[in-house]
Amino acid sequence: MVLFSILKRSLSRNPNTKKPIFAAFLSSHSLNPLPLRSSFYLVRSRIRDPYGSIVFFGNAGRLDLSHFPPWFRWFSSSEASEISEATTSDGLTVDGIVAKGWAILDENEGDWKSHAAAIAQSIQLIKKRLQWKKMSVRLEQLSVTINKVDLWDDPVFAGRVSREHGGLMSKMKEVKGFEQDLLEHIDMLKLAREENDQDLESESMKALLNMRRTAKEKELEALLAGDNDSCSCFIEVQAGAGGTESMDWAAMLVNMYKMWAQHHGFGVTVVDEMPGEVAGIKRATIKVDGEYAFGYAKAEVGVHRLVRISPFDSAKKRHTSFAAVAVIPIIGDVSTRYQIKESDLRIERFRAGGAGGQHVNTTESAVRITHIPTGIAATCQNERSQHSNKASAMSVLQSRLDQLEMARQAQLNAEHTQSLTEISWGNHIRSYVLHPYRMVKDLRTNYEVSDPDSVLEGDLDGFILNFLSSSLDKDEDKL
Amino acid sequence: MISRLPISTVHLRRAITIASFSPSTATQPYPPPLFLRPLTYSAAPSDLAAFRRWATARATVDGPRLESSDGGPGASQLLRELSWLLEDATSQSNGKILMRADLDELYRLWKERIEERKPFQYVVGCEHWRDLVLVVREGVLIPRPETEMLVDLVREVEGFSEGLWADLGTGSGALAVAIGRALEDKGRVFATDLSLDAVEVAGINVERYGLKDKVEIRHGSWFEPLKDVKGKLTGLVSNPPYIPSSDIPGLQAEVGRHEPKLALDGGMNGTDHLLHLCEESATALRPGGFFAFETNGNIQSELIANHMSTKWANCFHNVKTVLDFAGIKRFVTGFRR
Repeated sequence: MVLFSILKRSLSRNPNTKKPIFAAFLSSHSLNPLPLRSSFYLVRSRIRDPYGSIVFFGNAGRLDLSHFPPWFRWFSSSEASEISEATTSDGLTVDGIVAKGWAILDENEGDWKSHAAAIAQSIQLIKKRLQWKKMSVRLEQLSVTINKVDLWDDPVFAGRVSREHGGLMSKMKEVKGFEQDLLEHIDMLKLAREENDQDLESESMKALLNMRRTAKEKELEALLAGDNDSCSCFIEVQAGAGGTESMDWAAMLVNMYKMWAQHHGFGVTVVDEMPGEVAGIKRATIKVDGEYAFGYAKAEVGVHRLVRISPFDSAKKRHTSFAAVAVIPIIGDVSTRYQIKESDLRIERFRAGGAGGQHVNTTESAVRITHIPTGIAATCQNERSQHSNKASAMSVLQSRLDQLEMARQAQLNAEHTQSLTEISWGNHIRSYVLHPYRMVKDLRTNYEVSDPDSVLEGDLDGFILNFLSSSLDKDEDKL
Repeated sequence: MISRLPISTVHLRRAITIASFSPSTATQPYPPPLFLRPLTYSAAPSDLAAFRRWATARATVDGPRLESSDGGPGASQLLRELSWLLEDATSQSNGKILMRADLDELYRLWKERIEERKPFQYVVGCEHWRDLVLVVREGVLIPRPETEMLVDLVREVEGFSEGLWADLGTGSGALAVAIGRALEDKGRVFATDLSLDAVEVAGINVERYGLKDKVEIRHGSWFEPLKDVKGKLTGLVSNPPYIPSSDIPGLQAEVGRHEPKLALDGGMNGTDHLLHLCEESATALRPGGFFAFETNGNIQSELIANHMSTKWANCFHNVKTVLDFAGIKRFVTGFRR
């Protein structure tokens, strides 16, 4: 078994140094039977597919699978019910490693137990964030559904189920694969020490260190594993009661999100903006384009509160203003989107007056599209042609209707973010105080910083990551 | 109408070919559109910011005045135009600001926009229309947002994509280019215009969209250059001059002072050209052929529709008025019997 692990590792983990390691192995282990090795080679060559899960090449049928540890059978099958706990050759599991309570030292300390403990801890956190138990249950449900003979009688449903099944499967496989890699490296390291093979030992240490670093990235990725997290999104901001002061606050928030998005390399466009009479905006919609824009921005949904000396108050009094933020994912998968009937739409020129046509030269061609059955409307005025304004308004409308549909299905399985109309003005999520002291504090996580300027200039990541991790990590039952 | 163009101008303008579009030519009356110029200039971020502050202040101060005087651009529209001006004129690379015009020119252009009421589209030399970016300049009508819908009306006609179409009074070539882009193998558009400015600019736009095989521009009044395809046309579109002569003096400055009267003035009731088009359509279209004309709206549309379904009832059928997005009866459509 140990022999097999080494072979597997040398063939899979390190494609560039494959040959030398293999040679070293041959020279130090004369006991292995050559014919077996060649058939192993055939079976065990593997690559990572684009989803990060592991696939095998070769003909597994040539070997008796019962000789392999249980996890191997799991990889050879795609059924959730067969998932079982992975172990090292001497029965150590990821939970087992964490339970041993090995000290986690600095990365530079070349202690394998410390690396292993850190990685195992990350794996536990990743599983918690992914809501592993819930995921397994869901996968089992989906597997049952997917095996029904009449599944494809409803192709839309079947498509959705098999997509969700595939998505969950690949997420779980990735974690399982990572877990497996850890245990193999431990096996290998122990073996190298037994055999006094220093090359192999340092190889394994290096691999563990790499895993430890990757694990940190994977922890972050796991924060953004929701259905629509990878989507682009619209961020909508609406001023609360209080006139100019709160309209100015809404404009400050829009600016904060624009700058935040730009720091992240997201594309930002203002789709719709209703300016206030004196200053600021009554309401605005911006589009944030890029991978995981929704996953991050969804942490901002809710009411934001500002306390400051109002520049609009000649008496220099302190004012408190509110603005609500909604975030809507732009769903990429066309088949899951709300189907809009052309005949349900009313399209009109927004703010049009007068004779129009040749009489008027205007660069404004704002369009408002109303979905008559729901009364939901969208406006776009910032594009340079009516055609583009219409297309843009249509995409906002589509996403608003998708959001409505998601809310309807929320009790089934999906999660959704609140729309502006659903957000209650009663509780705010974050407070920005510029006077009498200076602080921004998130009331959901208690995360706070004492430099409001940097936050208002888009430095929001601390708030976002704290919220995302606290909302996923706090609930122990989810693992 | 033909006599409105002095012969000397005709000869002068005829000499300007598409090739003269490159900035190297010494004698050219119109600079190339901003967005097509090379990034030859650069500016310090602080200088550009100073321009932006100055231009913003002018827009905020002068916008409300222009809006209330004759329905000109308000402050928010001017601010949007300012951002588009900068979008066309500048490009950022590695923190450096590259420009297609120097800052002096930007100051001059913005002054022209506000003080001379030069239409924004002439300032930057282009108009975004449907999904197109059309080159425009003085001498051609700036295509209006309303007119975008004519293309949708055409696309609803059965078998339009393999048909022969005509765009009468093409101006910048907007309709011809948009229709041309939607055509398949056998489809063609003939675009006519009396104005040599229009013929030249439409040529540039057809060329820019690679439609020389699809769109043929012909110089002449309405149907005059189309004698060879008489009775063969699948469809006709036109946005002819339809403003009543008496309305011309009261037009918003951008239109009245800068756009060509030739493309605006529709005679006493505004219907001179529309009626001419209706009459000629009866013989220009093939049986079953489609027409769609833009009008001054409501009363004028009703008048034309009424005319076609009564006086020329034996030539046309299914004559309708169609609303634009502002709810105005903007178009008249129908079919030849």
